Amino acid sequence: MIHLKTFAAAAVALLVLAMPATAQSDKPSEVGFGVFTFTSGPAAAYGMPGRNAAELVIEQINAAGGIGGVKIKPTYVDEGQGTEGVVAEFRRLAADQNNQVMVAALSSGNCLALAPVAEQLKMPTFMWNCDTHQLFLKDKYKYVFRTNSSTVPEFVASALYLLSVKPDVKRIAIINPDYAFGRDAAAIFTAAMKALKPDVEVVAELFPKLGSPSYNTEISRLVTAQPDVIFSNLWGADLENFVRQAAPRELFTRSKVILALGESILQRVGTLLPDGVIVGVIGDGWWLSPDSQKNPQTKEFVETYRKRFNEYPVFPAFKMANTINAVKVVYGKALADTKGKWPTRDDLVAAAKNLKTETLTGTIELRDDNDGLVDQVIGMTTKDSGHPFPIMGDMVRYQASLVTPPVGVDPLAWIAKLNPSVLATLPKPGSYK
Amino acid sequence: MFANYAPLIVDGLADAALIFFVAVGLTLVFSVLHILNVAHGSFYSLGAYLSVVIGTFVAGRGWPALSFLALLISPIIVTLALGPLIERTLLRWTYGRSEALQILVTFGLFLILEDAQKLIFGVQSYSQDAPMTLLGTTQIAGIVYLNYQLLLIALAVLVAIGLRLLLKHTGVGKLIIAVVADQEIARAVGIDASRVFMLAFSLGVFLAALGGALASPTVGVSPGLGAETIVLAFAVAAIGGLGQIEGAALAAILVGLTRSAAIYFFPEFQPVVPYIVMLAVLLVRPYGLFGSIGLRRI
Repeated sequence: MIHLKTFAAAAVALLVLAMPATAQSDKPSEVGFGVFTFTSGPAAAYGMPGRNAAELVIEQINAAGGIGGVKIKPTYVDEGQGTEGVVAEFRRLAADQNNQVMVAALSSGNCLALAPVAEQLKMPTFMWNCDTHQLFLKDKYKYVFRTNSSTVPEFVASALYLLSVKPDVKRIAIINPDYAFGRDAAAIFTAAMKALKPDVEVVAELFPKLGSPSYNTEISRLVTAQPDVIFSNLWGADLENFVRQAAPRELFTRSKVILALGESILQRVGTLLPDGVIVGVIGDGWWLSPDSQKNPQTKEFVETYRKRFNEYPVFPAFKMANTINAVKVVYGKALADTKGKWPTRDDLVAAAKNLKTETLTGTIELRDDNDGLVDQVIGMTTKDSGHPFPIMGDMVRYQASLVTPPVGVDPLAWIAKLNPSVLATLPKPGSYK
Repeated sequence: MFANYAPLIVDGLADAALIFFVAVGLTLVFSVLHILNVAHGSFYSLGAYLSVVIGTFVAGRGWPALSFLALLISPIIVTLALGPLIERTLLRWTYGRSEALQILVTFGLFLILEDAQKLIFGVQSYSQDAPMTLLGTTQIAGIVYLNYQLLLIALAVLVAIGLRLLLKHTGVGKLIIAVVADQEIARAVGIDASRVFMLAFSLGVFLAALGGALASPTVGVSPGLGAETIVLAFAVAAIGGLGQIEGAALAAILVGLTRSAAIYFFPEFQPVVPYIVMLAVLLVRPYGLFGSIGLRRI
């Protein structure tokens, strides 16, 4: 009997001793991340910086020991294959339990398709670049988070900045890509302009298809409309092609032009763009912003990126880097919540709720609806003796809360209620320095 | 009045010029070989890629004027490398076989060439601007146009005239016309029809690659350009009547102008305008504007 008691005590003691080791062994040797971006086609000009940043940040995290000692194993998915293929890849990756996180996606169209799939598969998904405000407009998601701002703050910021630098604008023209992102942006920018300056008139509205190789007829149409201002949220190679075709035809000197995603092509088009073109980063990811410049981690990221990829990281690179770093923070929180036990997908979702974290370029805050709050940095092209391309000058940093409608409020209704008196209270161009 | 519509016309004609180069090559190949070549768009994109690569290489080394030479050399390289090779090794086995088989073979070729382009040139977008920068600009009705756009219109007219002269007033042209009219009789009188096939196909490849090369300074070159081009070229060739050079020219102008007008007046319809025009024409003339059911001519 004594022997039995001794044996039982020893067994219990051994079990207790073994528990931490068991918890430790719960950890996988590596954790899989699906990383979705465009690596082919015209959109790759925008998507590859995101891919490059993911590669760099994941390498850095792994070199520093990984997440809680677990290395990240990324699987990159090319969104250039089309939405059907992207959804199939998402399902395939989600079926593997070693893949715990999806960093997806770049295209608004793909995001809208992936969100319900992520919810169905209970797959934690961090939308690194999805901009469409429709993502959280009607549907509530538990497993989907946007570590990024949406079209509403991004293009309300464009309107606010425009009215700060050109308050007498009367005639506006729009040229955006023909899909959710372009259509949403046109509706938001127009609504914001009409609310803030009711006498503005839209004199031309063009939606060339995504990936259009030529914009020459559209450029002529824009010139004949004689607008005071041309707004565009073209992006990737589309934006680069547009600038290359429009600049020699003097479009940028005849009208004030807003290129809402313009920073992403400044290095590629060199001196083609004149001074005074309004360019944005749809967020706060500008490598030369005051916040970036005073953050040693950001400066190191910029320098490492430049050395490896032979260019400075444009804002999509920061969107991706900030998202992956935010996911790392989520893991840290989840590991703390589970007391060191390797978190499940549901543990990650719980930890991500209402996340607020510092980023390389500012902060990300996730609201109750899982949508992200990110400040908006916007400015105008200006020559810089230190670089063979224009940089952003006369910058403003609009606080996210200033340009984002509250949770549960219809964005277009919120925009329609914007009062012109708000313009007097805004930070002035050049105030962010 | 002219000032109001001048931009629309100039833009439409510049657009038509680029469409014409591809469509006329497609229609020429169909006329002689009786093959609807789905891979034709790939020759267009290969011409564009090669032209940008050579053009940016020479411009980057301080000889931007040589990029004009690249516009001509690139289609020649594409033609010499692929034209005779593809016709002799692949297409010759499809002559006289079903149209479905021919389309499948050229579609397979299209897929191979598209992937080969990705392997060779990568998946990024390419562009070159030296040719259009060097030629400067011109104002028409208050709108700045690139002289390069105007040059394209002139080149398209020259190519159309040149093709007609080639077919009517040269020995090679007469051989092509003879083979088109009746292959068996042509062979019976000693014409080497196989050689004519190879020449005609290579000429078609050259025209497509030339279109791509000439387009490259005004467009972005990336994967998918060939697919987009071939669809439009098919529509234009169908409108003009398959096998008809003048038909291709007229159809290209029609499509160019209507696309341009759509951007000005009904931008929502711009992507579908070529196909609406095609439907309208084919409903009235099922063989296209210049096509006919019985007579085979070029």
